[in-house]
Parts: sequence; C-alpha cells; structure tokens
Amino acid sequence: MIATGDPASHEEAWLSLPWLASGRLSQAERDKIEPHVRTCTACREELAFQRLLCNALTEPDRVTYAPGPSFRKLMDRIDGSSPRTRPTLEPQRGARRTGASIHRPSLWRPPGLAWAASFILMLGLAGVIMTLRQTTNPSYTTRSDVATGAPNVLHIAFHRSVTVGEQAQVLRANGAHIVEGPDSVGVFGIAPGLETSGDIPPERLSRQLRTLSAHLRADPRVRWVEPVPGDDSPGDAQVSTSRGP
Amino acid sequence: MKGTQHIDPHTTLEPNYRSSSSAAREVELISRIAAGDRKAFEELYGLYHRRLARFLTRLTKRYDVAEEVINDTFYIVWRKAGDFRGESQPSTWILGIAYRKARNAFRSSSRILSVENPEAPPPPLTSDESIRTEELRDWLVHGLGQLPVEQRLAVQLCYELGYSCEEISTIMGCPVNTVKTRLFHARAKLQKLLPALGGTSPKDGGNRESSEG
Repeated sequence: MIATGDPASHEEAWLSLPWLASGRLSQAERDKIEPHVRTCTACREELAFQRLLCNALTEPDRVTYAPGPSFRKLMDRIDGSSPRTRPTLEPQRGARRTGASIHRPSLWRPPGLAWAASFILMLGLAGVIMTLRQTTNPSYTTRSDVATGAPNVLHIAFHRSVTVGEQAQVLRANGAHIVEGPDSVGVFGIAPGLETSGDIPPERLSRQLRTLSAHLRADPRVRWVEPVPGDDSPGDAQVSTSRGP
Repeated sequence: MKGTQHIDPHTTLEPNYRSSSSAAREVELISRIAAGDRKAFEELYGLYHRRLARFLTRLTKRYDVAEEVINDTFYIVWRKAGDFRGESQPSTWILGIAYRKARNAFRSSSRILSVENPEAPPPPLTSDESIRTEELRDWLVHGLGQLPVEQRLAVQLCYELGYSCEEISTIMGCPVNTVKTRLFHARAKLQKLLPALGGTSPKDGGNRESSEG
C-alpha cells in the first residue's frame, strides 16, 4: 500500500488511516505511518473518528438472518434450471427412479377404443380428487409459510417501506427483541423484554405479550402482528386478521 | 415459525474468515462443491449468509433484495466452483461476485438506485451512552444512504467487513488508488452530511502537509 523506506508523508498516512483503524495494515505499513500519526494531531483525531466508524458498523445486529429458507429457494432454482445430474454425496433416490422410468418402455398399452375409455376414466378421477381437495382444505391461503412457532413468540411483519433501522427502532421503543427470522417473506419472531420466558410466570408473560401486540398494532409502520400460537383470545385474532396482509 | 431457523446470535458469530485454517476449509468446500457436493454448498452458504445479509440489507434497505443478490451470488458459486483456482482468498472471490450482483441490482432497479431523501433529518442522538453506539450506527446508515453506491460499498467493505485495500481493489475490480479515493470522498461527504459525528475535516487534515509531524 505504501512504499517501504522513507517515513510516510501526511497525505500517504491520511489515505491509509481506514486500514490502520480496521487493523488491516501490514506491520511494514504500520511501521511506516505510525511515527507520523503519533505526532500529527489531525491524523490522530481522524484515526479516532475512523475507529468509531469501525465500531459502529461492526456492532452485532439486533436482527438475525436465518439462512434456511433462502437456501431452500436457491436449491429449488438450481434443481429447476439445471437438467444435468450432478454427482452428490447423497444420491437422490427419487430422481434416479424418475430417470429410470423415462427410459423404461411402458409395459401396458391400451389397444384401440380403450384409449378413449382410459381418458374418460382419468377425467372422472381428477374430478373426484378436486372435489375431495376442496372439501378437506380451507379456502384461504396465507402469504407466509408461518404455521407453527415457538411458544410465547409474536410474529410481526412491517410495511415494505420501513427500513431495517426503523424496524429496530420500533421494537426497541416497545421493549421487544427479535428471536426468530426473518423468514423468506420478512416475518420476524419477537418476544418482550430481555428476560427468558422460563423465568416469568405464564400469566405475566401472557399479559406482556398482549400489551406488546396491542402497542405494535397501533404503530402505522407495522403491517400485522400475529397472536401467540394457542392464544384463544378472540380479540387478538380478530385484530390480527383485520390488519393482515 | 415454520420455514425459519432460530439462530442464537451468541452461537453464530461471524466466522474468522481471515484465518488461514478457515480459508483452507473454504477452499476445500469449494472443491467439493465443484464435484456437486450439496452438503458442502450448504455449509459454505451458511458461513456467508449472515455476513452478506447484513452487508446487503444495509446497502439496499430491503432484505428481499439482499436475499435475491445472495442467491444470485451463490448460484454463480455453484456453477463456477470448478473455475476457482485459489488465486485469491475464497472470501474475496465470493464478495467479488456479490459486489457485481449488487451493482447490477442497483442498475436494474430504480427503486434502489435512488438515494435516501437528503432533506430527511437523521435520527436524533441521545445522551444515553448505553444505546449511543446503536444510534450512531443508525446515523451512519442514514449517511451511507446519501453516498454514491461505489463509495458506499467501499466504506462497507473496509469498515464493516474489514477487507484490506488490495482485497477491496480485487473485489471492486479497480486500482488501489481508486479505492483510497472513494473512501476519501466518502469520508468527506459523511462528515458534511453528519457534522455531529465529529472528527477532523478530511479536507483540512488530508491536504495539509505534515507540519505537525
């Protein structure tokens, strides 16, 4: 970065301060610029500021990013767009069977009018299956894949325009902290306070969760807050769905 | 929460990617990925996801965009692992891909291209020391939002991810002096935008010859 030999000039030293602050200068580079920095007030002040910058940007985040959902999306993309079979440590048995069935000649071929009969039979079966699906599955869908979760955790989603910094600010202002997520659609799991749920009596924890969810729902930056799984409070469920996505 | 993993921040500290042992481990993972090893791919993805998610979310303000860039990056890693010859550190190679993908995302998406509203005031600072660092970070993130993307990336690569000047020049594909110039201008602009952050004016200090030294 700096030619070794002569002591660094002020400008050389100044331009190297970011890496002196981040600890990424080699010993030779440090030996060259540190004598100047020790005697230069401007460089010392600037170095102090740059160390502050480093500390602020490397401070651990309140948000924890879970890699699982993103990785599954990526693998779906890779599997979908890559028809060639890559060798893997864990052979995909299902894929191998599918591949074999493609090349294996069919053992049964319906003759003549039996083709038409088979087609009609398949249509009928498809109709029956569709009817069964409609009667057994609920008619609504959710935008997230949140179905279950850890107990004593609220699930929250912010409006898309809300920045990560604002999200942290909202949670901090309400005394909440993130314990899960975000998942692939930006849903976080949050809990009140910094105490562990095991240390708090269930009634008190339930009250805290209700208060927290009420405060968060009142915040216009919050898109929706889901009640605690298993919470049978009709009021909570109603409010949650009314602000739902 | 279905579809998410609860990760304890205390057990998932940033990997010490600069140590020779972790770099060697990553080289080994890349060679296994080149042979189609999905377990190795998942491990490498896990090593980088948190670091990249923070870096890119801070850059784009959008986790979904950050996730898209991360997956674009690792899609390339999966496909090009066989081309990695170890001429640079694995982290430099991967960050180089992420840098190009992030820059492309900026170019193709006007929603991210626009910098933050310069009229918007930064968040207020408090005198409470316990949360001052966090608020200072909010201030910095606000200030970074006003910088041109190349300067913003240089600041983050240097101060947040701790890359050396030479590594940043490899990642950004530009000369070392360009990296230094970008950081110099970024620092000057940050101070202009956020005078309360303090520090010496880089113009005054940077252009003054070493009369004090």
